[in-house]
Amino acid sequence: MSEHLSTVEAAGRYFDGLTARPHAVSLRLDDRFRVTGADIHRDWNLLDLRAGDSVPPLTRVGPAGAADRVEFSDAALAAALAARCPDLRRREAAGGTLRLVLWSVAAGVSVLLVAVFGVPRIAGLLAPLVPDAAEARLGAVAEPQVLRFLGNPPACTEAAGRAALDRLVARLVAAARGGDGAAGAPPGAMPGVLPGVLPSALPGVLPADLAVSVRRHGMANALALPGARVILLSSLIARAESPDEAAAVLAHELGHVSQRDPTRSLIRASGSSFLLSLVLGDLTGSTIIIALGDAVLSAGYSREAERAADAYAVGLMTRAGGNGAALADILERIAKDEEKSDDQKSDDGKGAGEDHGGSGRSGGLDLLRSHPFTRERAATIRALAGPDAAGRQILPGNEWAALKGICGKRPEGPEPKP
Amino acid sequence: MAAGAPAPRAAPVTFDTRLGGLTWLALKGFLLSLVTFGIYRFWYVTNLRRFFWSRTALDGSPAEYTGTGKELFLGFLVALAILVPIYLGLFAVSLLAPAIAPFSVVVSFVFLFLLGQFAIFRGRRYRAMRTLWRGIRLGQDGSALAYAARAGGWWLLTLWTFGLAFPFMRASLERYRVNHTLVGTSRMTSTARGRSVLGPWLTLYAVGLGPLIALLVALLVAADFSLPDDLLVPKPGGKPGETVFNPAYAGSNIGLIAELGGYVAAVCVPAALLLIPYYRARETRAFMNAASLGTARLVSTLRARQFYWPYIVYMLSVLGFLIVLGAVGALLVFAAQSAGGVSVVHWAVILVYLVGGPLFAVLYVRVVQARLWAAVAASAAVADPEALEAVVASARGAGSGLQEGLADALDVGGALQIGI
Repeated sequence: MSEHLSTVEAAGRYFDGLTARPHAVSLRLDDRFRVTGADIHRDWNLLDLRAGDSVPPLTRVGPAGAADRVEFSDAALAAALAARCPDLRRREAAGGTLRLVLWSVAAGVSVLLVAVFGVPRIAGLLAPLVPDAAEARLGAVAEPQVLRFLGNPPACTEAAGRAALDRLVARLVAAARGGDGAAGAPPGAMPGVLPGVLPSALPGVLPADLAVSVRRHGMANALALPGARVILLSSLIARAESPDEAAAVLAHELGHVSQRDPTRSLIRASGSSFLLSLVLGDLTGSTIIIALGDAVLSAGYSREAERAADAYAVGLMTRAGGNGAALADILERIAKDEEKSDDQKSDDGKGAGEDHGGSGRSGGLDLLRSHPFTRERAATIRALAGPDAAGRQILPGNEWAALKGICGKRPEGPEPKP
Repeated sequence: MAAGAPAPRAAPVTFDTRLGGLTWLALKGFLLSLVTFGIYRFWYVTNLRRFFWSRTALDGSPAEYTGTGKELFLGFLVALAILVPIYLGLFAVSLLAPAIAPFSVVVSFVFLFLLGQFAIFRGRRYRAMRTLWRGIRLGQDGSALAYAARAGGWWLLTLWTFGLAFPFMRASLERYRVNHTLVGTSRMTSTARGRSVLGPWLTLYAVGLGPLIALLVALLVAADFSLPDDLLVPKPGGKPGETVFNPAYAGSNIGLIAELGGYVAAVCVPAALLLIPYYRARETRAFMNAASLGTARLVSTLRARQFYWPYIVYMLSVLGFLIVLGAVGALLVFAAQSAGGVSVVHWAVILVYLVGGPLFAVLYVRVVQARLWAAVAASAAVADPEALEAVVASARGAGSGLQEGLADALDVGGALQIGI
């Protein structure tokens, strides 16, 4: 076979791999590759030859694993070498791009699954273990950030309204502590609640250092933060048509607090985004994926947590002598506003028809998320509250008026868009 | 060398500017990095380096890059194992010790900055040890810790001197890097001096930074070194979080200086940005001219305009894309309005990412990186290249492959670094 191979010759430069000195050599390719120059005689097996990266016509070859090599710029010799050396362009451990891509995708999907499903579980296990002091610090760190996100809404501190809010919070806390809700009932409330109506003991514990504040904001919403901090936004109070509606939302947030949902949510969101940003690193579109993941993952509490907080709110309101079903009323009212403002988002088709100047509120921090879910929640809340609930009221009229005025004369500030 | 020798030969550094295959390499690298959650980037960077190294030739012999993507990836994993506890520690400290919390941002910044300098030096060592020329392996000794300490000290001095020490810092760090660079057993030496780039730096400083720093100092002096807290007040009737300059200060010195600062910044910041390529080109030329290996000296004739051209071409391409995008976007919005669905716009945004992302990734590599690299390489030559023939290969091995991971995990350095 080798006798059919023609001989190709060219001039080149030889480097011995020990010094950078070039040696002029003549190259001869037949069934071997022979390098001849002054004091230089190399005879290389074609199977051993490997070519380095270079731009044609320059070619650089040498035996695999050895340091010496030859450089030449002869197209005919380069073509003959390429034809006769089967492994000329072979790179050790190269060519596994498809395998690499598949494994990388599998690894990425695995991390995503951990971030989406694993981290919430871990957060659920960790949240009860966080000491109160650490949680209070977490809340102190988180509150300014949340407020900045909302556009630093000013705090509402009208004295009479503040006093009414404090009394309301004290009533709810006393009721949660298992005290008789009717004991602290104001004169205007329905006197006495039948013992049979009282729900069984409420799950979870409310920490002692509960801090409820009201902020002037155009979004009808409320949020609970780690460290037993609850923020009511003024629009929510303005939208409420009875004191029980506002109180029920507060009770709902207290439900989150008692279950440590804010802490769990914080651990979950930061854990997931930490995991994702570590693995995705930088380059190309990964930052978009991170932003997306962050948005999706920190969207709020799970539906189970919302249902539990609803049940807690109804139980707490009932114990405190209020109307638990009011939560359903205000939920539905705000949900309707939302549907008006962004009707193309309601993919269920119901309620999208009515379109007469939506109030433009954007929201969904944690009170409500999807409209079918709101209907389901409202039905559950009404069933839990029972038929007698509608007649009860948690605050007398004058206190309710004071609470409504907690933000001063203007009922609502200029509507900010967060 | 004989005394009567004619004009000594200078060996040119060449770079093949045909760039065949670079578009596909960049496109494939970008798309696969996207699909693999960024993991492919290590292989992409390796391919890019092989491409650029093999097209850069000194005295006719191209350089060889022998690094692998796997090494970079493993280095990244090891760096993660180091960094995750550090990040968690910094987080825990800020949470558990409220007294330290206000400083924790500063502490983590300083710590991560020093770690970044450490990583830059280690990354350079990795690249040197994976570079071969005529079969001779490059190398780097010296201590990354010492380098990070120097960098930290020099940055402090630069801050204290309001940036005037900057060129001296650059020269000092360049000397440390080059003086610890080995080609085989021969050590490179650099005589880089801050003086040599002081002129370009002062130009940049006088036009861009000086007025701003002077105004800041004037503001501090006018305020007796305690800036009033109420300099910015909430905008009356504005959205929450929106602030305006406090009108109470309108007539005072402070008010005048702050107002002037706004106008000066509007002129100075763009001017400084425009002058950065000029400074970079001058610095690269001066530092390359200062580098030598034995009696073989690097000579660079780099012109500043060679550094501007790639950026101008890139900007024009981006501008053109944005104009086309605006036209297409307007058309789509119009179509969406008549069709009555906003989701068309969403699809358009996704399309822009899918088209614009790869387009700019490829353009950046081809136009900016390749042209800058070509400008530096093609303007360089080696005087007295015969001295290079005395270079003897070193017996040491290729060194650990894990050294560049930290730089990647900290996001310092980059695939290709211009200069030496």
